[in-house]
Amino acid sequence: MTEKKRPLLDELKKGKWPSFVNEMEKSAAKKPVVNTLMDLVERSYEEKRVHWKHGGIVGVRGYGGGVIGRYCDLPEEYPDVAEFHTIRVNQPSGWFYTSDAIRTLCDVWEKHGSGLTNMHGATGDAILLGTTTDHLQDCFNDLSDNGFDLGGSGSNLRTPSACCGPARCEYACFDTLDLCHHLTNEYQDELHRPMWPYKFKIKISGCPNDCTSSIARADLSIIGTWRDNIQVNQEAVKEYVNNGFDVKEEVLAHCPCNCITFDEEKKELSIDDENCTRCMHCISAMPKALRVGKEKGATLLLGGKATIVQSAFLSWVIKPFIKLDKEDGYQELHDILERIWDWWDENAKVRERVGELIYRKGMGEFLKATGLEPVPQMVHHPRANPYFFWYPEDFAAEKEASEAGKEVAGSEVSE
Amino acid sequence: MADFTPEELRAKILEYLETKDKAKNRDIATAIGVSKREVDKMVNEMAKEGILEFLYLGTSYVKLKDK
Repeated sequence: MTEKKRPLLDELKKGKWPSFVNEMEKSAAKKPVVNTLMDLVERSYEEKRVHWKHGGIVGVRGYGGGVIGRYCDLPEEYPDVAEFHTIRVNQPSGWFYTSDAIRTLCDVWEKHGSGLTNMHGATGDAILLGTTTDHLQDCFNDLSDNGFDLGGSGSNLRTPSACCGPARCEYACFDTLDLCHHLTNEYQDELHRPMWPYKFKIKISGCPNDCTSSIARADLSIIGTWRDNIQVNQEAVKEYVNNGFDVKEEVLAHCPCNCITFDEEKKELSIDDENCTRCMHCISAMPKALRVGKEKGATLLLGGKATIVQSAFLSWVIKPFIKLDKEDGYQELHDILERIWDWWDENAKVRERVGELIYRKGMGEFLKATGLEPVPQMVHHPRANPYFFWYPEDFAAEKEASEAGKEVAGSEVSE
Repeated sequence: MADFTPEELRAKILEYLETKDKAKNRDIATAIGVSKREVDKMVNEMAKEGILEFLYLGTSYVKLKDK
């Protein structure tokens, strides 16, 4: 047991919310290495300086990702954590585990590592924090024997993740869990062999509430939507109103398209679905009265990422509606995805995400290369649509037409 | 871009790797004049057959097995 004081970490035990420091102290009773780790974290807080060196080549046989090398830059002072590698374990779709599976995972990790986990990391994987190089292969073998696989890291496909979808959510517009499982199995080579310019993330949300925050965090966001009308139950609307729910304030005032009207006398809602952007605020506010439409599918968006080469991007719409058909093995999605990967892989610089490549080369070139149709939903930012293009051949055609006394408009991108 | 049958592509990849200790798929693609995607697919196939093996040194390299 260490005698060292850790006043800064102790601050993080205060308050009524859970504290990772409390949990680490509990772990330290079983794993003394956690004490050393807390001493190092306290020192980092004091010095306002991180003492981890990122990188180094560590891994397990047959895999190019899934293990992230971590080394302490003060190995003489903190020998117990001189090597403290992270292992990413591919989570099940929607993060549904049996308690047996979690117990098994923890048992493997207590045997081979620090026992500390992130359940789950921002990547979606179960993150196992802290082991030595000697333990990596044995840990992987035990995980593998128990049905677990590693997730992605490095310049490859990162572990796809999905919201809980139809398992627990009435809003799900498609089976997010099945799609996530399917993509994970289908793209095992892409997941485990870093061959791309940089990482590529797929996150899947069953409805526009986007519980995986895919629009901000995924290179490809797959977000459930519908293309017919929102279903309205007027009796349930009346019940909301009779119970004191302020429809004008809570729903109409927040509709970004002003496409909802409310008849106060009849206590009825009507929605101009043609002008609705499927933001889903109204449905989330009045779930008993409003439901998503019946003709369901997803919108595909591309390019979300945090700041690296360029600033943080939100994803752009590239396909406003796609039917996600289990029966044909999601063929249309595969076709689009693989065309995107081909173009990105051939054209991107090292560490350039697909959104950054589109930014550099232009959406026009992207659409041409992937054969996607330009559509009005491809807004770059509100009140702008930069995806209507004029190419040199258009100008030539315009000149020719003008000489012939005809009018020519700008052309669409696809040819 | 060169247009090879699968057998020709396979032979070209082997021929190139005979001259190297290890190579990235992109370098193979550039050297033999085909798209990287084609090389990726063929290399994965040849790795599954045990003809090639991957080396992971930050990124993926490929080499002839047991060379």
